[in-house]
Amino acid sequence: MSQSSEPQEALPPVLVASVHDVRYFASLLRGVNFSNRATVTVTERGLTITVEDARTLLGTAFIFAGVFDEYIYNPEAPQPRSPAPQAPRPKRKQRPQRPQNPDYSETESETESEDENDAYNPDEDEDRQASDNAAFEIPLNTLIECLNIFGTAGPSTGNISTSINPIGAGRGQGGGVGRGRGWQRAANEDEDGDGGRRLARGIEAHFGGGAKEGKTGMRLAYAGGGYPLTLIIAEDASGPTTTCEITTFDPEPHLELDFDAEKIVLKIILKSSWLRDALSELDPSCEKLTFIGNPPTPQDGSGSGRNKRRQSDRLGVAKPMLRIQASGTFGSTEMDYPNDREVLETFECQQTVSFSYRFGHILRTIRALQSSTKTSLRIDNEGLLSLQFLMPSPKLRAENGADAFIEFRCLALDDDV
Amino acid sequence: MRFRACVVNVATFFRIVQAIEKLQKTCIIKFTETNMHIICNNDNNEGGIQVWSQIKVNSLFNDYRIQSNANNEITMAMSSEALLAALKSPSSNTSLDGEEVIMKLAKKNEHALLSFEISGMSRVGHGMRIVHDVKINVLKPVDVAKLTEPLCPTPDLHILLPPLALLRTIVDRLRPMSDLLAFQANNNKRLLLAIRNDSVSVETEWNDCQNPAAAEDEGNGDDEEPRDPNKMYSVCISTRSFLKFLNIHVVSTTTIACICQSHCLILYVYIGDVTDAGGVLTFYIPAIIDDDGR
Repeated sequence: MSQSSEPQEALPPVLVASVHDVRYFASLLRGVNFSNRATVTVTERGLTITVEDARTLLGTAFIFAGVFDEYIYNPEAPQPRSPAPQAPRPKRKQRPQRPQNPDYSETESETESEDENDAYNPDEDEDRQASDNAAFEIPLNTLIECLNIFGTAGPSTGNISTSINPIGAGRGQGGGVGRGRGWQRAANEDEDGDGGRRLARGIEAHFGGGAKEGKTGMRLAYAGGGYPLTLIIAEDASGPTTTCEITTFDPEPHLELDFDAEKIVLKIILKSSWLRDALSELDPSCEKLTFIGNPPTPQDGSGSGRNKRRQSDRLGVAKPMLRIQASGTFGSTEMDYPNDREVLETFECQQTVSFSYRFGHILRTIRALQSSTKTSLRIDNEGLLSLQFLMPSPKLRAENGADAFIEFRCLALDDDV
Repeated sequence: MRFRACVVNVATFFRIVQAIEKLQKTCIIKFTETNMHIICNNDNNEGGIQVWSQIKVNSLFNDYRIQSNANNEITMAMSSEALLAALKSPSSNTSLDGEEVIMKLAKKNEHALLSFEISGMSRVGHGMRIVHDVKINVLKPVDVAKLTEPLCPTPDLHILLPPLALLRTIVDRLRPMSDLLAFQANNNKRLLLAIRNDSVSVETEWNDCQNPAAAEDEGNGDDEEPRDPNKMYSVCISTRSFLKFLNIHVVSTTTIACICQSHCLILYVYIGDVTDAGGVLTFYIPAIIDDDGR
């Protein structure tokens, strides 16, 4: 009896991850917290959290190992009695993708290299079928509540990431040529104070907390199939410690929404605030949201003034490149985006496209949208919408090289609905 | 029957009533020559939490005058919400300059009232007088005699709680997860709050809480075997009741918890310093014995 249990205990846990400040992790989880049951997939590169709604909407948070201070993944051995050390796995071909992620934010300065943005696509979901991962289901809301047990992982304090990040980004990129105004200003103003701030942040990271603002540290462990997810949460060494054991379930198969990059009919990259402001204007009673894309008209690129464009609009000469149209019982709203690189950093559209989605589903993305800096919006020829939100990491880019992101995929409504 | 006092410490009075109001719709206040007792002993509030408090008259009032046939004591029942509303205007930021709050027993249209008279100068220098009347029922001495504090066995242990505001954030998170909260502690500075449901078990633990020496223990320490300081005592209470108690965090400085295993949790909330306490609020939260006998 005891003999058989010993070697099992000797097995290392499938996953051990720790972080000194859970706010970023919690904000990523919160971004996909629209249904309580989430599937967590553990791979060598990080965690993916997948949540599904109404067989139509799929939300996935990609949390790279670099988000954590410590991240150890031991693939579950096929038989418990053979804990043979596994040979180091060959690096997958997607591996070089990680360092490329920051490219996404550099599109502002290097808009000509748009094509590289495709590298940001996490379309390697097929990987999940591969054997080198572990998957389990957890009640996501419970996990988030547990992380916030001391009230220091909440949304209000979580915003700090967005305020810190532009500085880090500015440093990484040097001058920044065609950058958005807000970023440029941030970079200029903080040029002097930057070193000091960075230092302060370094010290904070060392002592695991600022003087006033409590930070919650966490260590999570997952021993393997059938075991609970164990979390140890503490604010600092002297304070209380919370231990949570969250029951895990066997993963249920999820909706598969494969996005074929070759069938893209509309592709837009824009600052998240532009989309967030538009969506927040809409009345929650709306039922349907339509994205309409028109190929850019060549002479309209000068941005010579709104009046002119509006006039030509009325004449029906030039159509807006991107129009968001919402309709409901009480009326409809239309919003047009100007053809301006400041707004639509990337815009690819060969012919007029129009696809509608349930507004309720689009609203599910709003929490992720709010804490993101950039959005990539793509639609394929069947109307499958892919929204990717870049979630700025509070850490310096140099340290981990990877900002996490959240992706939503949503099926279009049938035309006649 | 005469009663009149000037409320000096409106803010503290207001905060106490604020916590009481969240607990129970009506409360009983007993004024004696030296103390004010706020009592909530209604059985029909959720979870059966009771409050028996004792606040020194001079920590809240001055010019305190009381006269009655019942040993110079007056006991009254009133709506805690109305009392809170009466105290709200003088305690808010928009209060008048040189304000004075007089609390007195009055009678209007054959109805007993506790009247709060607020007088002072407005910002522009006009004299102002605001009166709030709180309808009360003066209790008969026979009924007063029936008011008795719950009887509890000698507590198994005493432990000083961490700041209640911090506890409140934690219990706030636990509440949606479980209606039952296990409150556990030992005589070696350890305090544990635990919940468990189908999908999660959460335990928050402190290892640096002081155990004040209980006076009774020192007296008859000889005949008893020294108890193992690491033995955990536990009481299972309603999470919602505990959360309601934690509303008192606005006035608390020091709080001592006593566990009477599988009977109740007693919490002493001191107003001001322990040694020179202006008053003590005692909360009784009954234990819930569930099927597992936890």
